[in-house]
Amino acid sequence: MSRIAALLGKELADLRNNPAVFIPAIVTGVISIVMPFIIAVAVPYFSGERLADSSDLKIAVEMYRDQPATRSLDPEGAIQAMIFQQFLILLVLTPVAGAMSVAAYAVVGEKQARTLEPLLATPLTTFELLTAKVLGALLPGVALATVCFAAYVGGVVMLAHPGVYRTLFFPRALLTIFLLGPLASLAALQMAVCVSSRVNDARSAQQIGALVILPISVLLVAEFTNNLQLTSRLVLLISSGLAALNVALMAVGIRLFDRESILTRWK
Amino acid sequence: MAFQPALVASHLTRRFDSRVAVDDVSLELAPGEIFALLGPNGAGKTTTLRMLAGLIKPSSGSVDVHGRIGFLTEAPGLWDRLTVERNLMVYARLHGLDRPARAVDEALDLFDIGNRKQDRAAQLSKGLKQRVALARTLLHRPDIVLLDEPTSGLDPESARDVRELILRLRSEQRAVLISTHNLDEVERVANRVAVLRARLIAVDTPAALRRRLFGSRVLVRLARPAAPFAEVLEPAFPDVRADDRTLSIAVGDVEGAAPGIVRALVQAGADVVSVVADEAPLEEVYLRLLGEESR
Repeated sequence: MSRIAALLGKELADLRNNPAVFIPAIVTGVISIVMPFIIAVAVPYFSGERLADSSDLKIAVEMYRDQPATRSLDPEGAIQAMIFQQFLILLVLTPVAGAMSVAAYAVVGEKQARTLEPLLATPLTTFELLTAKVLGALLPGVALATVCFAAYVGGVVMLAHPGVYRTLFFPRALLTIFLLGPLASLAALQMAVCVSSRVNDARSAQQIGALVILPISVLLVAEFTNNLQLTSRLVLLISSGLAALNVALMAVGIRLFDRESILTRWK
Repeated sequence: MAFQPALVASHLTRRFDSRVAVDDVSLELAPGEIFALLGPNGAGKTTTLRMLAGLIKPSSGSVDVHGRIGFLTEAPGLWDRLTVERNLMVYARLHGLDRPARAVDEALDLFDIGNRKQDRAAQLSKGLKQRVALARTLLHRPDIVLLDEPTSGLDPESARDVRELILRLRSEQRAVLISTHNLDEVERVANRVAVLRARLIAVDTPAALRRRLFGSRVLVRLARPAAPFAEVLEPAFPDVRADDRTLSIAVGDVEGAAPGIVRALVQAGADVVSVVADEAPLEEVYLRLLGEESR
């Protein structure tokens, strides 16, 4: 554990000295936060047309006002709640983007900077190395997602109809942000680290790791088109699958991490 | 040479696909010894060091290590964005040292880099980086120190500092194996030399290698023309050459033969101005060995 902590400390310190690497994640976070406010608050405000007047959104109003927790919301508030809930899944992309920026360089970067060989000459095991690398990318991403969620809630409290913010504390929302998000990030960055162990450039690792964004996008589209309702149970189910995938990816990562090949064949 | 070896490599062979990078290399390393591994680029020096350090496995053969190993890689390999202190602290903790902060402070003092500890590694000169890398290599007080081209690319002053550090390691009874192209450096610090080109071509002390390949000669400079004195020495030394005021005498052992030569010349009435050993530079020894191996 102490060796993991030592290397993790190095990863985080390195990141503090190179905050630019987090710009893609920050941009993703800002876009994820701003988009629903444009749709749910800015457009109705500037156009003068209430969302509740749109016939397309009537079903949503009824659906939300059927539920005990959202029954007290007025029609406009119900639609806002729906929009803010659905866009929540976009916030899941923030830690994924953050993790991807860092993880792709995890092994390739060390090799390119010629810092890997002295590291491998210490008693550090492959499991410890990969764990520290993965956590070093995951923790800042999750921290950024938490900050983004806080900003999201703050924005909803200030700009949306009264009571809408309460829907962001439903178990479904919290599970999405604090369980599904980190687990998806973990899967993405473990894939990136696995690839990073086998390729010579960080871009290849980023491209493979970014594949995790695809299923998240599918979830988002399915929700928007009313083909899927992301319930707490479904979030838990997906999270369980991701947890199992993460265990498998760690095992695969350790098998793929071929110290000899990295030292002797990479130039 | 009777010693309790710190490291024994037996019949090390390493293949990469069909290419044999290291072929049946055996060597021993004693505490307090500096052993130099010489060889052209691609001779298998780094691969040998990596096998000795346990970073890669030999295809066949074995390495027995009696003590902890410190390995200085060819590149300093510092994390540029971190400070010198932080770089060392990470390694102190990776080695599981009891008091990492203290170990780091001691290493900084030992290498005289305490005043640069808050500098980022990127700000350091190449010589200073190498010094920090050496400090990192010795943080956990290894008994065996493997150095891969420790003075490569350094200016003469930095190279001298590194050499002094290497000599200090010997005085601390650590076993040092140094891989290098720098023959002058080997001449100055190494007790024994191995010439490697995939397999070991020769292993011995620099003096013994010289003797073996070139023999040894004593040069005696006289106050008068030397030719008349050559025949004084010829009964004992079959190969004596006279050139103006200098005699060049082939001997088996310079230190053993020189006093007798001087005595014989003085008894014959010669005025001896100077006596020096005429030794082939190590570079010639090295090139001759490689040349013989190529044939």
